Order: sequence, then C-alpha cells, then structure tokens
Amino acid sequence: MTKVAILIGLITAIGLILQRRAFEEVVGGTLRAAIGVLIMLAGAEIFVQGLVAFQSIVASAFRITPPQAAKTLAEFTAERGGHAAIIMTFGFLLHLILTRLLNVRFVYLTGHLMWWVSLTVTATLLAIMPNLPTFWLILIGTVVMALYWTFQPLYIHGYMKRVTGSDEFGYGHTSSSAAFLGALLGQFVGKPEESSEKLSPPKWLGFMKDINVSTGVVIGLIILIAAIFADPRVLAEQAKDLNPYVWAILQGLRFAAGIAVLLYGVRMFLAEIVPAFRGISLTVIPGARPALDVPVVFPYAPTAVILGFVSGTIVFLVLMVIFGALGWATIVPPMIMLFFPGGGAGVFGNSTGGWKGALLGGAINGLFLAVGQAITWPMLSTTAPELATLADPDWYLIIWILYAIFTPLRGLFGGA
Amino acid sequence: MRLTRDPLYIATVCGVGMGSSLILKMTVEDALRELGIPGRVEHMDLSSVRSARVDVIVAQPLHTEELKGLNALLIPVTNFLDKEGIKRALVTRLREVGWIAE
Repeated sequence: MTKVAILIGLITAIGLILQRRAFEEVVGGTLRAAIGVLIMLAGAEIFVQGLVAFQSIVASAFRITPPQAAKTLAEFTAERGGHAAIIMTFGFLLHLILTRLLNVRFVYLTGHLMWWVSLTVTATLLAIMPNLPTFWLILIGTVVMALYWTFQPLYIHGYMKRVTGSDEFGYGHTSSSAAFLGALLGQFVGKPEESSEKLSPPKWLGFMKDINVSTGVVIGLIILIAAIFADPRVLAEQAKDLNPYVWAILQGLRFAAGIAVLLYGVRMFLAEIVPAFRGISLTVIPGARPALDVPVVFPYAPTAVILGFVSGTIVFLVLMVIFGALGWATIVPPMIMLFFPGGGAGVFGNSTGGWKGALLGGAINGLFLAVGQAITWPMLSTTAPELATLADPDWYLIIWILYAIFTPLRGLFGGA
Repeated sequence: MRLTRDPLYIATVCGVGMGSSLILKMTVEDALRELGIPGRVEHMDLSSVRSARVDVIVAQPLHTEELKGLNALLIPVTNFLDKEGIKRALVTRLREVGWIAE
C-alpha cells in the first residue's frame, strides 16, 4: 500500500488502460512511471544533503541553530508517498465531479503541483495528527485537494482574463495568492499604461531563466560568503579534507543537481499520468477548459516575469539576512519558486499596475516565500520539513489553514 | 503532405520541463496526428534540450530566443492550446527546410 513506486505504477497502468493504449505502451508507461518515482526518491536524498550543508554553514555564519528535522523528505516520501498518490488520484476524480456538478468548467491539469501539494497535505495532516488513521488521511486529503483544484482557478479568473484576454484556459498554479495580491494591489502603485513591456531588462539576466544555472549561482554564492563567516570547526566538519571554498562552490552545484534529479523523476512519472487525467476529464466534462501551469501567462508580459523574479529575489535575500541577524531562522533561497510564482505575480501585477505592479507582485512573492519558509519548517519538522523550502505561496496558506482547522480537532482523530 | 526524411524528433520546452511543456506536448502531438506527420514528441527543460539532439523545438518566445544557437528548427508559441496555429507554423517551417513535400 505504501510502496510508492508500485502504487504510482499501478495508477499509471489503470490510466493507460482506460485510454485504451496498446499493450506495450501500457507496460512501457507503467515501468517509466515506477522508475521515475525511484529517481525522484534518489533526487530527494541528494537535495536533502545539499540543503543540510547549506543550512549548517549559513546558520553557523549567523551563529544560530540550523533548522531541525526529525524526518526528511526522502524518508517521508518513501513511507507515505503512496498515500499522497492515492489522495492525488481520488482528489482529481472528486474535483471532476465538483466541476461537473457546479458547472464551472475548469479542470486543473498542472500535474507536478497536484503531486507536490498532495504530498504536502499528507505531511501536514500527519504532522498535526501523527496517529491519523489512513482512511481519514485519504478522505480529508481528497476533499482538501478537490476543493483547492476546483476553486483556485475560479477566484483568480477575473484577473486571468485581463492578462490573457481570453476565456480559453484558466490559471492553475500554486502562486495564485501572490498573483492575486499582485493584481489587486498593483492598481494602487501604478497604471496598466506604464507597462513593463515598454522596458527592456539587461540581456545578461537571461541566463538566470535556466533554473539549474540560477540555483547553482545563487546557492553557491551564499554558501561561499557564509563560509567566510562560519565557525571554522563547523566548516571543517562539513568540508572534510576539501578546501572549504572549493567545497562551498561544489555544494551550490550539488544542491542544483539534487533539484534537477528530483524534478526529472517527477517529470518522468507525471508524463504518463497527466495525459490520462486529461483524457478522463475530456470524457467526463465535455467542453472542459484546462487550468494551466504559470508559464502560460509569461508570453503576455515577458519583461514583467523578469521584474517579478528579480524583485522577489532581492526581497527574499534581504529577509534572509535580517532573519539570520535576528537569530530567528535560516532560510534557503528557492530559485524555482522565486522565478515561477514571482514571474506569474509579476505578470498579474503588471496587468493592473504596469512595471511598478510587476515589481510589487514579485516582492509579495518574495515576502511570502521568506516568511512562509521560516514559519512553516517547524510545522512540518516531524514529517517532511524540506517541503517548506520547495513551497509556493498557496502551499503555505493550505498548511496554515489545515493547522488552524485540525489542531483543535486532534483529539477526535486519536492524534496528539 | 509527406515527410521527406526520418520521423521528426520534437521537443517541447519550458523552464523546468514539467507543467506547461507537457501541455504543449499534447497539443503538438494532436497537431502532428492531424497533419499526418510521423514524429515523437518529448517535453523537457531548458538545460536538457541542449543535449537532446532534437529536430524541432517548440517553446514560448522567452525560451526560443535563448536556444537560437542549437541546431534545431525553432517554433515559438504563445498560446499552448492553439493547435491550429501550431499546425500552420509547423507546415511553414518544415516546408522552408524541405522536410515535407506535397
């Protein structure tokens, strides 16, 4: 039941059979999905090692205690990833039913976020209620996911139409809260006529769009600077016989490599599952419109994407130094989450507030990510705290809302 | 319309190679099927596509700009669901390089 590779393989096989694929495609797809899960687990381990190195050096530079983890993402995914996969599947089916009944017509198809948020909800429920019976875990998780996938594209659609000028697809991304606030508040800082697209950002920023590169550069630089200020004993303990500065640069690259492997695995199993989800949704809901991943809005204001990314990154880095100097928390810049949600919030901000709105949207995202990571890591420390470093703004909101609802109900579910 | 070379190997690309490139892949697959052009479509991220030796890259202009040095036909797309637009762009570009004949 909890062997996540086998379970996701099974879900994939069912999806492929429902699509009436040829026998060899069913076998091939199923194996690719299962192998993808194993690659994801291997990537999670490399990522966690890189993260621990980052946190211990940066915490040492600030002379504070690094974030504590009673369990890691890699361990949690191996143990409970199967439950997350079931929640993702049932949640999607319930989402289709809700969409059909309410006649709202947006089907959420951003597969990797369906996986990550299902895993996050699983980790959050179990962090609040460690003894939650599996039945309740899956039931609550399914309902939470179905509600989120159904209502997230809806509440932001007014602004989405303004951005794309079309009703053909919706916004299905866990940056929706930052994007919504960017558009809502953007109108107070600027005008849509002062569009970001009249500006041209410096060309050299372009290479940062490759998140492997930007992760390696930013994380590497921070570890390098932190290594200068860190306690030499902590540094020696981590670097062992390597030159500490060579070690620091390598850690930045290893961190990027871990994320790349992690994402490669996720991509591999979702490539088999998402087309099945799409096929089912087209059958169940004729005329269904998809809610799609954030890059679909990027072509409408590519400069706003860069502005949102840069302003969010600056806000995050400033807060990182402030949190460290105050001894409050060690946070790690999540480059993917600064780029994608930041870019999305930039595009939405630009739609109401021009380039100033784009900068504001990105800054809101940076604020969300910094505060979110600092507050949320301890909330997940008994399950998969690293999820707090991989989260988009909506993930934090979902985690906080679940905490608010279920903390008082702990007793009911044999928790505590 | 027929292909005058081996089946195409097409990459759809986005920043991380997970979400929107997968949606784009499904649109491109539908477009190829309707055009009757044989080919295999894979979705990938900006880094991977550099080593993938594909014949055609479909991505948003933000990314095709950056991939200009690669030895592949670049097809910029702004609407990831626009099957008809992708069909037109494919036919135009493939005709230009002589990979399809009437």
